[in-house]
Amino acid sequence: MKGKNCVAIAADRRFGVQLQTIGTDMDKIFEIGPKLFVGIPGLATDTQTVHERLRFRTNVYELRENRPVTPQVLSAMVTNLLYEHRFGPYFVEPVIAGLDPKTNEPFVCGFDVIGCPCEPEDFIVSGTCEEQLLGMCESLYEPNLEPDQLFETISQALVNACDRDAISGWGAKVYIIESDKVTIRKVRTRMD
Amino acid sequence: MALDSLCGFSTSQPAFKGFSSMCTLQNDLDVFTGNFKNNLQLMNPPAAHIPELEAMKVDYKDPLHRERKTPYGFYKTPLGYGPVEVPDVGAVTAPDSGLKIKMAHGTTTLGFKFKGGVIIAVDSRATGGMFIGSQEVKKVIEINDCLLGTMAGGAADCTYWERFLSKQCRLYELRNREKISVAAASKLLANICFHYKGYGLSMGTMIAGWDKRGPGLYYVDDDGRRAPGNLFSVGSGSTYALGVLDGSYKWDLTDEEAQELGRRAIFHATHRDAASGGVVRVYHVKEGGWEKISEVDNDKYWEKYSGDKMPIVIN
Amino acid sequence: MECLIGIRFNDYVLLAADTVDARSIVVMNHDEEKFCKVSDQVMMAVCGEAGHTDNFSEYIQKNVKLYKMRYTYELSPQATAHFTRRTMAEYLRSSTPYNCNLIVGGYDNVGNKAELFFIDYLASISELPYCAHGYGGYFVLSTMDAHYKPDLPLEEGIKLLKLCIQEIGKRFLVNLPLYKVKLINKDGIQDLPTIQGADLVKYQVRPIGGDASAAPMEIGRA
Repeated sequence: MKGKNCVAIAADRRFGVQLQTIGTDMDKIFEIGPKLFVGIPGLATDTQTVHERLRFRTNVYELRENRPVTPQVLSAMVTNLLYEHRFGPYFVEPVIAGLDPKTNEPFVCGFDVIGCPCEPEDFIVSGTCEEQLLGMCESLYEPNLEPDQLFETISQALVNACDRDAISGWGAKVYIIESDKVTIRKVRTRMD
Repeated sequence: MALDSLCGFSTSQPAFKGFSSMCTLQNDLDVFTGNFKNNLQLMNPPAAHIPELEAMKVDYKDPLHRERKTPYGFYKTPLGYGPVEVPDVGAVTAPDSGLKIKMAHGTTTLGFKFKGGVIIAVDSRATGGMFIGSQEVKKVIEINDCLLGTMAGGAADCTYWERFLSKQCRLYELRNREKISVAAASKLLANICFHYKGYGLSMGTMIAGWDKRGPGLYYVDDDGRRAPGNLFSVGSGSTYALGVLDGSYKWDLTDEEAQELGRRAIFHATHRDAASGGVVRVYHVKEGGWEKISEVDNDKYWEKYSGDKMPIVIN
Repeated sequence: MECLIGIRFNDYVLLAADTVDARSIVVMNHDEEKFCKVSDQVMMAVCGEAGHTDNFSEYIQKNVKLYKMRYTYELSPQATAHFTRRTMAEYLRSSTPYNCNLIVGGYDNVGNKAELFFIDYLASISELPYCAHGYGGYFVLSTMDAHYKPDLPLEEGIKLLKLCIQEIGKRFLVNLPLYKVKLINKDGIQDLPTIQGADLVKYQVRPIGGDASAAPMEIGRA
C-alpha cells in the first residue's frame, strides 16, 4: 500500500494444510533490500522456493552490477522467474513493496502465478482473502497517508479481511517502509 | 387423536397425501403454502419431491422395494400420523437435478456426561467454502427446558429438524402428561434421519437432557445412527476437541472443572481447525433443566489459555 | 496411516514414531525403524510412501556425511533441515518427486538450543515447538496446545508424549501399538524406552443394565 513517501506491506502468519493450522509464525514477507520487500502468499513450499531463488538472483545481480536492486528490477526478476515456469507454475502471487533506493519513490506491484505484473497507483492485494482485502482497501484507503496513518489503514484492512477468511490470520506482521527506516510490527489478530 | 383439531394435525394432512391430490392450483397452494395462513406454524416437513419420485418409479417395478425405500415410511412412524396411500406417479417425470448445494460444514461441538450432569459446548462459526459467513451462529438448539440439541453439518437441516423435534416433544408432553425422555426424543430424530437416509440430509447432532433416568446424552446423525454415550464430539474440529477432552476427562469433575474443560476443548479446537471459531458457548444440563453457563468470544480466552497450560496427568 | 510426533523443549527434543510397516491390509513388521540418524546431533523421523522414505532419508544422510568429510565440520540442524527441504523441493518439480513427510530434530551446539523442523511432502518447512505428521496430528496437536510448556523437564516431556500416544491409541481407528522414541540433547542422540500405546489407554464403559446416571466403569490399563 502506497503512502506519502512511504509504503507498507503486511501479511498474516498462518502455516496450515487446508483446514489444519500447523504453525502460527510463518513469515511470508522477505527483505530483498534495505527499502525493498516482497510478500509471497500461496503454496507454502513455493513461497519458500521462490524466496530462495529470488534471493539468489538479487544477490548475483548486486555482485555483478555493484548497485542495489531497485523495485523495478525486482519486478522484472519476479516476472521472469515466474514465467520461466509457465507450464508448471509456482503457486504464488507475489507482491512487491519498496522505495526507490535513490529517489525514494514509493512502488507497489503484484503478480499472478505466471508472472503478469500489475503496478497500481494505490494498493495491491493477493492471497486467499483477496476479495475481502480488496473490499477493505477500497473503503479504507486514501492517497498520501503519513506512515502512522498508513500503518493503521493497512492493519485494519488486513485484520478485518482475515476475520472473514477461515484460512487466514493467526497473527500478522506489518512493515512500514520509509526513506530512513523500516518499522516492523506484529499485529495481534484472532487466533481461531 | 384427541389433539388433532387443537394442533392442526389430521390423518389427512395434505402434504402427506398422494400426488394425485395435488393436481390443482388450489391444492398446490394449500400444500406448499400451508404455513402462510398461520405464519407461526412450523412448515410441514418437506414431503416427497422430485428425487423421491424417481425413486418411487423404480420401486413400482419392484414392489418388494416399495415399502422399504419410499420416504413415506416416515409418516408411519410413532409420530402419530396415519398410513398414507401410495401415490400414483406414473405420469410425472423427474427433471434432471444437477444442483449442488454448498452448506456450512465446519464445526466443533462436544458433549459429555459427568457426575454433575451433562456439559454441552460448541463454537459458533459458519463457513461456506473458506469464507466465514458468520461468527455468531447458535449451534445449540434449545428443544425445551430439559433438552438441548447441538448442530453440526447442514445448518438448515439441523435447525429445521430440531425445531420439528421440539414440536414433537411438546406434543408428546400434551398427549402423555409427562416429559419426553432423552432416549425417546433422540429416537424421534434418529427415525427421521433414518427415513431420509440417502436423501442428502447432513446433520451430526447430540441430544442432551435430563429425565427421570438421570442425565442423558445421545449422538444422532444423518445415517440414522443413534448412540448413547458419555462423551462425544462432532464436527470438523472434533478430533482436536477430543485431544483436549480425553486427556483430562474424569467422571468426578466438579461443575466448574467440567464447564472449564468443555470450554477449553472448544477453544483449542477452534485454534487448530480453521472451520471452527467465534464464540464458545457452554451449557450445563442439570436436574431440572439446562443452564447457559457462558457465551464468550474465543479471542478473549487466547491470552489466558495460551499462557496457563493444563497439568499433564496420565490417568 | 503412520504417525510421527516431535516436541522441542528448551534443551532437548523428543521424536516419536510408530513402528508399523503396513502393506495393503497386512502389517509386515512391528519393529520398523522410521528414524534416520543424519549426524551426531540431528535425527530425522520419516514417513510416507514405502521406498521413498528409506531412499530419500539415506540420500540426505550420506550427503550430510559427505559435507562433513569435505569441510571437516558438520551442518547445523537448521542447515540440515534446509538442505533437506531444498533437495525435496527440487525433486518435487521433477518427474520423480519423493512422497515423504519428515520431522527433523536436532541440538545446535553452537547456538546451544534445541530445534525442531516440520517438512511435508511438498517441501514446506517450518520451525515449530511441536508437530505431528499423519492422522495423529488431528488428535494430538490440540493435546500439545493444551499442555506444552517449553521448560518442561525430561520426565514431564515424556509424560506429554505418552498423553499424545494414549490419545491416538484411544481415538484413531488404525492400530499403532508401539512407538519408538528418540531423545536429542547436547550429548547427542539417545534411545528412550519404546512406548506401548495400547497399554496406556483406558476406556470408560457403561455398566450393562446399569443406572444411566452412575459413573462409568473404567477398563483397560491396570
